[in-house]
Amino acid sequence: MTREKLKGAEIVVEELKNEGVEVAFGIPGGVLLDLYDVLYKDDVIRHILMRHEQCAAHAADGYARVLGRPGVCIATSGPGATNLVTGLANANMDSSPVVALTGQVPTAAIGSNAFQEASTFTITMPITKHNFLVTRTEDLPKVIHNAFYIANTGRKGVVLVDLPKDVLATRVDVNLHPKETFTGYKPKIKPNPVQIKKTAEVLANAERPLILAGGGVISANATEELRHLAEFLGAPVVTTLMGKGAIPENHPFSLGMAGMHGRIYANRAISECDALLSVGTRFSDRLTGWQLDQFAPEATLIHVDIDAAEINKNLQVDIPLVGDAKLALEEILKWLEKKRTTSPGSVWVQRIREMHSACEECIGDVRREGASISDMLIKEISKVLDDDVIVTTEVGQCQMFAAHYYITKKPRTFISSGGLGTMGFGFPAAIGAKVAAPDKRVVDLAGDGSFLMTCHDLATCVENDIPVVVCIFHNCYLGMVRQWQELFFEKRYSNTGLGTIPDFVRLAEAFGAYGERVEKPEELKDALQNAFESGKPAVLDMIVGQEDKVLPMIPPGGSIVGMIGTERCKPI
Amino acid sequence: MQTHIISLLVEDHPGVLTRMSGMFTMRGINITSLTVSPCEKEGLSRMTVAIDGSESELEKVRKQLSNLIEVVKVVDLKEEKAVIRDLCLMKVHVKDSNARSEVMQLAEAYGAKIANATLDSVIIELTEEPRTIDRFVDLMKHFGIKQLFRTGVTAIGMDTGGGLER
Repeated sequence: MTREKLKGAEIVVEELKNEGVEVAFGIPGGVLLDLYDVLYKDDVIRHILMRHEQCAAHAADGYARVLGRPGVCIATSGPGATNLVTGLANANMDSSPVVALTGQVPTAAIGSNAFQEASTFTITMPITKHNFLVTRTEDLPKVIHNAFYIANTGRKGVVLVDLPKDVLATRVDVNLHPKETFTGYKPKIKPNPVQIKKTAEVLANAERPLILAGGGVISANATEELRHLAEFLGAPVVTTLMGKGAIPENHPFSLGMAGMHGRIYANRAISECDALLSVGTRFSDRLTGWQLDQFAPEATLIHVDIDAAEINKNLQVDIPLVGDAKLALEEILKWLEKKRTTSPGSVWVQRIREMHSACEECIGDVRREGASISDMLIKEISKVLDDDVIVTTEVGQCQMFAAHYYITKKPRTFISSGGLGTMGFGFPAAIGAKVAAPDKRVVDLAGDGSFLMTCHDLATCVENDIPVVVCIFHNCYLGMVRQWQELFFEKRYSNTGLGTIPDFVRLAEAFGAYGERVEKPEELKDALQNAFESGKPAVLDMIVGQEDKVLPMIPPGGSIVGMIGTERCKPI
Repeated sequence: MQTHIISLLVEDHPGVLTRMSGMFTMRGINITSLTVSPCEKEGLSRMTVAIDGSESELEKVRKQLSNLIEVVKVVDLKEEKAVIRDLCLMKVHVKDSNARSEVMQLAEAYGAKIANATLDSVIIELTEEPRTIDRFVDLMKHFGIKQLFRTGVTAIGMDTGGGLER
C-alpha cells in the first residue's frame, strides 16, 4: 500500500489527536495558515479562538489543572509568541502540563528580522520545561510525541514547539506515532525503599506529626492516599496555596493553608510539630517566611518530591524522598500498617481539635466582629457554592481572601496562580476550566485591577457559550499593594488607586454577558443565583471597602511565628 | 569559593549549549572555562565546565543540569580523581638572543613545545594542569606576553564515572 505524503500541518494535527487532544485555545496568524487550514477541516479538535494569546496560555493551563492532562495553546510567530510568554511562565512555575505550538517564519528567513519574527526558541527557554525548534518536517512526529510525554511526566510543565512556516507546508512521507524518547529523560517515579522506611520510622515515633501538602499531591492524584495516611497517623494537614484541595478543608484534621497569608493555626502547627511530612511542595518564601530557622524548628523534616532538584533547594531537610507522591504515600502507609504503631500522644490530638475548632469559628462566622465587607463576601461565597464548583482566582487580595476563607473540598476545584502571581490569570483560567468541565459551575474570584488585565476575553466566553461567573471584589485599588503601602509605607498610596472606571455591569452587558452589582453582602446569594440562571457568562460587581485588608499576615522579612493583624483570631 | 569541574554528556542538538549556560546565568554563576567536543558515542557531545562556587551552589546546579531533557549525564569531577588538562598557546616577546635562550630553557623545563619562532618572538604550546600553566604564564610575564590563548580545561575521571562505560 502506498502511503500518501502528509503535509507538516497534517502531521501535527494527526499527532495531536493521537495524544488525545480534544481542545486547543489559540489565535491564528500568517505563518500558521497551513495549520489552521487543517484544523478547519478537522472535526475532532475543537479550537477556541481567544482574544489575546496570554489568555490562550492561561486557558490551556486552567484546562490542564482541572483534567490533569496537557492543555494546548497555539499562537503565531513574533507578537503571538511573545504574548504567550506570561501564560507559559505561569503554567511552568505551577508545574501545570501545557503544550504550546507557535508559528515561526520560514527556516530560510530565521535570524533575518523577518516580519513578525521573534526568537521564540531562545525567549521561552528559561520559562519552559523543554522547547523545540523544528527545522525538518520529518521530525514532527517525534517532536510532538515528546512534547506531550515531557509535559505530562515527572514534574509536569510547559513544552513549546516552534513551527516554521515551511516545516508546516512541506509534504513528506513519514511514519506517524513514534515511541522514541530522550536518553537523558528518565523521570524518577519509584521512591527509594530505604528512604520510605526512614520516613515511616520517624512518623511512627513522632509525638506531634504534621503533614504539609503542596500542589504535587494534587498533580499526582494522591489526595486519597494523603487523607488515609493523615487519618492513620492522627496527623493534621496544612497545605500550601497550590495544595488547597489536597484534603477537604472541612475535614477534622485540616488546618487550612499555611504561610504568609495562611491561617495562624496552620502556622502554629508547623511551629509545634516534631515531624513534618512535606509532600510536593518547594518551600517557597510565601510559605516559610523569611527566617528559615523559625520554620518547624522542632521537627524532623521529610521532603517528598518528584523533582530531585527541589531537595535542599530552599530548605535543608533531614530525610529526602524523591519520587511520585502517590507511590510514596502508599508505601509509607503500607510500612506503617505492617508495624502497627502507637498513635500520637493524646495531648497533640487534643491540641489539633482545639486549633481546628478555632479555625472553624474564625473562618465560618460571617458576621464576626470587625469583619470587613470583603471577609463577609468571601465567607458568603464559600457557604453558597456547592462542593463541585471550580473556583479560580486572580492575584492579590481577592486571591488571599479566597485562599484563607474559601473552603475547598475537592482536589482540582481551586485554581490559582501560585508561583508567578499573574494578575489576569483567573478569568482565562476559568474559561479553560469550564471547557474542561462543562457540567460544573466555574467562578473566578477577581479583583478589579486583575480583571481589567484580561477582561477582553468576555468576548470569547459569549461567542463560544462558556458561561463562567466572575465575582469582582471592587475596591477601586490594586488592593494588595495598597495594603502594603498602608501597613509599611505610611499610607502613601503611590499609583494604586484605580478610580471608579469602568462600570463593570455595563462592561459585561456591552460584551453580551450578564452583569449585576452587589452593594451589600446579603445581596450576593441572589445575584449568584441570577448569574447562574442567566446561562450567560456573568460579571458580579461586588462593592467592597476600599481599605479592606487581608489579615493576619507575615510582614516582609518576618517569620512564620511572627504574624501581624491577629487581633481577630481566637487565641489558642 | 572553590573551582569545580563539571563534566556533562549531552545530546548533540542546536540550543543545548544555550540551555546549559542559561542554567548558570539564571543563578548568577560565572563559567570560568568551557569546552565542548564530540565524545565516544555518536550523537552525544561532552561539555567540561569549570565554575567558581560553593559546595551547595554546585549541588543545586548539578541537579538542575540533570533535569535538562537533553543532558544524559552530569558528573562532578574531583580534582584528585581526575586527569585535568588545559592547552595554552602564547606569543612571548624575546628582545635578544639571551632572552630567547632563557625562554626556551624554561619552556623545556615545563615540557612545553616551541610551535613557531621569529626574530623577536616565540610561540609556545603547553598542555598541562591549569595550575602549572598559571605558573608558566607568570614566568613568561617577565619577558612580555604579546598574546595568550587557553582552551579551558578538559578533564577525564580516573574511575568509571563520567563516561558511558559501566
